[in-house]
This record gives sequence, structure tokens and C-alpha cells, in this order.
Amino acid sequence: MKVGLFVPCYIDAFYPRVGIATLELLERLGQQVDYPLEQTCCGQPMANSGCNSDAAAAEALFVRNFERFDAIVMPSGSCAHHVRDHFDAIPQTDAVRHVRAHTYELVEFLHDVLQVRAFPWAEFPHTVGLHNSCGTLRALRTASMSELGEPPFSKPMDLLSGVRGIRFATPARPDECCGFGGTFSVAEEAVSARMGLDKVRDHHNAGADYIVSADSSCIMHQQGCAERAGIPLRFIHIAEILNGARE
Amino acid sequence: MKDKRIDHAGAAAAFIADAPHLAFHDERLWDMRQKRDAQMHLLPEWQELRTLASQIKEHTLANLPDYLEQFERNATRNGIHVHWARDGAEHNRIVAEILQARGATTLIKSKSMVTEECDMRPYLAARGITVTETDLGERIQQLDDQLPSHIVVPAVHKLTGDVARVFATHYGTDPNADDPRQLAEAQRQAARPVILHADAGMTGANFAVAETGTFVVCTNEGNADLSATVPGVHIATLGIERLVPRMSDLGVFVRMLSRSALGSPITQYTTHFRGPQDGGEMHVILVDNGRSARLGMADFWTSLKCIRCGACMNTCPVYRRSGGLSYGAVYSGPIGAIIDPTFNERKYSTLPFASTLNGSCTNVCPVRIDIHDQLYKWRRVLVDHHQMPFVKREIMHMAGKLMGQPRLYRAAIAGAETALGTLPRFALYSWLNPWGKQRELPHPVEETFHAWYRRTRSGNGTADTGR
Amino acid sequence: MNARDTILDALRRNRPDPAAHPLPPPVMLGDLDAGQARFVAGLRLLGGDLLERAPGEPLAAAIARRFPDARLICSAVPGVDGAVPVQDLPNAQAADPVDVAVVRAAFGIAETGSIFLSEAQLHLNALAHLAQHLVVLLDPAQLTANLHTAYQRPEFRTARYGVLMSGPSATADIQGVLIRGAQGVRSLSVCFDSV
Repeated sequence: MKVGLFVPCYIDAFYPRVGIATLELLERLGQQVDYPLEQTCCGQPMANSGCNSDAAAAEALFVRNFERFDAIVMPSGSCAHHVRDHFDAIPQTDAVRHVRAHTYELVEFLHDVLQVRAFPWAEFPHTVGLHNSCGTLRALRTASMSELGEPPFSKPMDLLSGVRGIRFATPARPDECCGFGGTFSVAEEAVSARMGLDKVRDHHNAGADYIVSADSSCIMHQQGCAERAGIPLRFIHIAEILNGARE
Repeated sequence: MKDKRIDHAGAAAAFIADAPHLAFHDERLWDMRQKRDAQMHLLPEWQELRTLASQIKEHTLANLPDYLEQFERNATRNGIHVHWARDGAEHNRIVAEILQARGATTLIKSKSMVTEECDMRPYLAARGITVTETDLGERIQQLDDQLPSHIVVPAVHKLTGDVARVFATHYGTDPNADDPRQLAEAQRQAARPVILHADAGMTGANFAVAETGTFVVCTNEGNADLSATVPGVHIATLGIERLVPRMSDLGVFVRMLSRSALGSPITQYTTHFRGPQDGGEMHVILVDNGRSARLGMADFWTSLKCIRCGACMNTCPVYRRSGGLSYGAVYSGPIGAIIDPTFNERKYSTLPFASTLNGSCTNVCPVRIDIHDQLYKWRRVLVDHHQMPFVKREIMHMAGKLMGQPRLYRAAIAGAETALGTLPRFALYSWLNPWGKQRELPHPVEETFHAWYRRTRSGNGTADTGR
Repeated sequence: MNARDTILDALRRNRPDPAAHPLPPPVMLGDLDAGQARFVAGLRLLGGDLLERAPGEPLAAAIARRFPDARLICSAVPGVDGAVPVQDLPNAQAADPVDVAVVRAAFGIAETGSIFLSEAQLHLNALAHLAQHLVVLLDPAQLTANLHTAYQRPEFRTARYGVLMSGPSATADIQGVLIRGAQGVRSLSVCFDSV
């Protein structure tokens, strides 16, 4: 299987270690991974803002970069959601359909495609609160949703359970949105920051030392809120823990 | 005339700045959401009920003209006078005519979102008709001259001290007596004589049954029943989308309405009106006010399935923190954000953006309206209709161009290849500024992933794709 | 064109394809237990209560026990000693001074603890709302399991006014504090009484 790695723009710029961990983890698991150098963005920021025509160039470039792969993997639930469920600023050619059908968020790729459960190299002796982004939770469905009363399941938890020494703290409102929301974070600054503050407080009160997530955008927002409020939480992407980060 | 855009973000910031109100509002609505969850867990058939409710409503909407005619036939046969109103103005005129023909000058009413839509109270007041809301929360809002901030709990943004202040002004009670029991009793004592001597009563309706000509009103206070049974004239206003085909359909909807709204198994009062009481008179006004046009909107017609339970508001993390009044509209919260633009696209153009698209609203909706998908689609419509503010539109346009050209994109961040250098200056110094008000910026890094990859895996990557 | 035809015409033009949206058949879902215990649990959850009678105790005595301060009791059922028959009330307003109203429900719903009243039981509909307290006689044989089964009852097709009352009037509109006895009756007591 030829795997194409997509590293979202904000991970590229702010969280390169998440991209590195994703690449190394996939390679550790025996995957042939290629990172097309001409990649930029999946088009989500423009499309989510309603400016769909402005997403066309990014989407077209994305397809050119990734159409030759069997699987396109990214450490971002919201980008995977955009490619899979929206991504209609450009004509839906065979190449586009192929890319959309073979795009995976990292956790679901590990869980569903590679079906990995053990990470013998990974040890994380800390108490973590899991933050499922709304993209992974309610769009990609990588965990059960509290509103539906469905039998509990959690793909990220399945994976993290394969990490030695890890302990979990459960916040009072586990699947409440943290308030990032892309351009929402600046257009609705007051609400966004308040949601972020409430989210990190909830995790902190539950006893978490770290918040772990499959989405660095949520982390970027929550980390900003926690640091400003002086809440002693640390933040880490799930790829880093699964790749053996100890911190 | 160009209406001013609602400043949801600004109003939300003001609401958030008031810590006690914010804390209560968030906790209270979250508690309602949790009680709703508890009821859902008691009913293994919950998801099946949601599916049925959705199917029944979609069927009804697809056959609405036929069901309305059937309802009209049956209601008329039962002795109900049925009226039709194309819009709010026509609705208000009909109400005034009914009242004036009977010399009525006092009207008591229970909560009706449609009469709020029609802005009925000022119209009647100008014609010498005194309207008294009998629902406690709605009465508080009427006295305080505010819109309801929530469909089900109209004064949920207020604390007891606020209510004490309002009642002190209007009922002459002690402004410092803020015991909720005393305040509720003050309302009961103030309302009772008004109810006893009112010339006419008015209610809304939650459902209307085509096969019997029945309409159903669900309340907890009993005020709708008082409004309907004490005066000799009962006027009911209902949106044309309230219809269901059969009596048996009520089983599905009544089982879910209060469970979704408040987390109680049923409202204290579920009242079925099928005809006037002895010696009384009954009128039903079927109101369109934009609904028939909305039915023709391929992406948005299913918003007409809404049964006004408010569950989407209770679960919405934005609504809980911004307060309902921040939406500046009769309908607030997620459901408001997808129907308000059909009333006034420019005025309410900001509301579909007052969402993180997290999708919780869609999950709790008892009639399975895909609310967050409709929010997403509204954004496109509003941008296509030039309703996005210029600066944001330009930023998106420039970002879109940049993201389509990898060399330009890399050149834009080439200089230092550090974190903040990646953000184009125009964005960093204008529109993105609010980020830092209450949040730290991400920490600078040594190099981007792209640079690391080129440095450590040179020759490995695929350069110049598409050639 | 008049309003009616304008609206119907617009709906006919704009509606989605009816063939794509068939009406699902009526359903009978959920717990079908129509027992008294379930009814009582539902009633209590919504703030209602039972009025229990000692064997052979007249209804009037039980009411006097529960409401010792009641001055005006009005009954829509015959045989309540000391009660004013509802037929003697000349109009709705006359029901305002009533302390306790007594009525027999047509049926009850076990799922929700609701009781059904219509003009056939009340004679004066406002009595159930203007009175301070309501005592409801209910034949346990007239319990139905849930709202699906309830809506099969014939009363919904004959009553012009039919209310399902589930406990007394209530509000939580002031800072979320639940208060029983908002605008309508302050209490609702069900007395099982076989016919």
C-alpha cells in the first residue's frame, strides 16, 4: 500500500513534531509513506467559511498531490472530514472521487485499516484527558456520541489503551466542543475563548496532566486558553504518544 | 432598506462578561440537556421515534396543502372558524378584527412563537387592546420589553434578582424579595384577575391533526388552558407546518417533545382542542409568513420539521455562552440560525457563522433536522449572495489563491520558516488579531515540518507534482 | 387570490416530491405495562400524588383529611358530601373561589402518570384550572400503557376539549427553580376508584 502523508498547514507551521511523529509511526508500522512536497492545504478554511469557490485551487492541488496513493493519511480529523464529506469546489472526477474515498484520519487508519492495537514502544506514564474533536467525533464517528445514547466505543481510546503506563481522566462534559471552529475562533473570539477555557478547566478538574487529541487545531486553541489562564495542563497529539513520546 | 447585520459576537461578548449570568445560563441549559439524555436512555425506542417523527413530518410537508385542506374541513365541521394569513401583518389584522367585532379590549395569551414572529402585541396595543402574556417566563419578558431568549424557557438568561427587579417595577413587589416561590406566587396573584376578566384568550399550538381538525397545546403552567377555557373566545395561531396527518402520530411527537425540551416525560398539560366549548367561540389562524417559500428551498425545507422543543439550544455550546438575545431574532440558537435568514438574509447573515459546526444540535434534534449541515450550507448561500463582510471575504479569497500555489505559499513563509512567519502579514495584523485577546499564540518552532522533511529526507519527497 | 389560495398554491408549487416521502404506518412502541405501579411512579415524578382512602371511607372524608382548610369544594361527580355540584356554577368565573375540585378522569396513562379530562367529565372546563387543588377519581381498569395506546382511545375523537394533565401546574421559569402550582392547580391527587 502506497501511503501519502498530508500534513495540514497549521501542523506544518506550528506543530511539526506532530507531522514527524505521524510519519515515523506509520513507518514503524511498516508503511511506505511519501510526503508530496507541493502540498499546502485541503481547502477547509475557505469552504467552512462559505467561500467554496476559493477552496477550488487548494482542492485541485490536493488531488494532484495525492491521486496516486492507495491511502491518504493525515493527523487531523477536521481535514479528513472536509476531504471526505465536503470537498466539492471542483468537478468530481474519478481522481477526486478516489482521493475522497481513500482519505483517512490517522486514528481511523490505524484502527480500521491497519488494525493496530499494540504499541510496544510506547509508554506514557501520565494522566491524560482525551479530547475528541467534533470532526473526529460527530463526522468521522471515531467514538460514540453522548447525544445518541449508543453503546460506548472509542477508537482513540482503543489505541491509547495499548500504551504502557497511561492513565485516563474523564471530564464532566467529555464531548462538548472546545470552541476552536476555524475562523470562528477569531470571528467569535469571546465565545470561542470562553468555550476553550471551560474545556481546559473541565479536564484540569478531572485530574488530567495532559490533554491528548487527534486534532492539533483544537490543541492550539486549548493550549492558548490554558496558558493565558495559567492552568497547568500540557498538550500532546495522539500520534506523538503512539509513536513513543515520553515528555 | 438595508438592515444592519446582527452583531452576535459583540452581544455574546457582553453576555460572557457577566460572570454570574453566564455561569447560571450554561449550567441550567446543560442540566436540561442531561435530563433529556436521561429520558432518552429510558426509552430503547428513542432513535426509532426520531426516525418516525422525521418521516411523518417530511411526508406531511410534502403533502402540506392537502393536509391543510383536510384540517380546515374537519375543524370547520367541528365549529372552528379557520382563517388564513399570508404574513404577520395579515395575521395581526385578523386577530384585531375578531376582537373588535366582539368589542374585546383585553386579551390573555399563552406563549406562541408565531405571534412573536408577527410582532402582534404592539399592533394590538396601538388599537387599544391590552395583551397579557400568561406564561411566567413570557410575562417576565413582556414586562421587561425583551424578546424571548429561548423557545421553551423565555427568561432563562435572567436570575431571580432580575425577575424581582422587573416585578417590583410592574407589580409593586419588594425588589429585594428574590425568592422564586414568592415571585411565582406574585405572578399567580397578578395574573388571576386579568384572566378572570379577559374578553378573549389566545394560544399557539404545538401540533394540529388533519384527520380530526384537532390542535394540541403543550404547557406546564396551565396558563394556556386558563386562557382558552375562561374567556368565551379562543383564538389559536399556528404556523402551517404544525400539521400531522393522524391522531396516532401524536403518540410519537408527544412522547418526544418534553423529553427533548426539559427532560420531563410529558408536559404537565397536553391539551387537545377540537371545537369550541359550550357557549364559546373558537378561531384558528393558519399562518404562512415565509413558510411556503422555505418549503421550496432544497437545502433548507426540512427546517420546517422543527417542533420547537429547544433541545438544539440546550446542547449548543455557543448558545449556552452567548445567550439567546445575542441572536437578535425571534428564533435563537441553532434552529434560529438556519431559519432566521429566510426572514431577512442580510440582517441575520452573521448567525450561521455563530457556530463551530460541532453537530451536537443535529444529534439531539427529535425530528432529525441536519442543523449543522444547514448552517454550513447557509454560509455558502450567504457568501454567494454577497452577505459576508468585505474584509473576511477578501482574506478568504487571498488565502484560497495562496493555498492553490505551493511555490507562492512556500515563498510567503520562506523567510524564517518559523511559526509566526507563516501567517501572511495582512491576516496577522487585521482579522486574526482577536486570537490573542484571551489566548496565547502557538509557540515558535525551529523549522516547519516541510523544512524538516526536506532536510532529513531529501530526495525522498515528490517534487513538482502535476508535471 | 385570497390568502388561503395563495398559500395553498405556493405550497403546491414548492413542495418536495410527495412520492419520495411516504407516511410510515402507525406504531405501537415502548413499554406496554399498563399497571398501577407504573402509573403512580409517573404521577409522582411530575408532582402528582395519590389520595388513599381507608376501606369504606367516604371520599368527602378523605378530601377533608387532605385539605382541612378547604372551604369550597366543587364536584363534577355525584355523591361527594358537602360539595357544590359543578352544574350549580353559572360560568367559568364562578369556579375561581373553589378550593378543591373533584372530577373523574376518563382514563389514565401509565407511562406518564397522566389523566384525561374533557367536557364530558368536567362540565365546566375551567373548573380544572381555576380551582386551587384537583382530586381525580380514576378507575384502574381505565389505565392505558403509553401515549401510543392512549391515542387509540375514542375520547380524542369525541371531546372538543380534552386535556392530559400530568401532575399539577408547574414552572421553572425563575432561575430554574421548580415550583408546583404556577397558574393552574397547586396540587393534583389521584384517587383510585373502580366503577
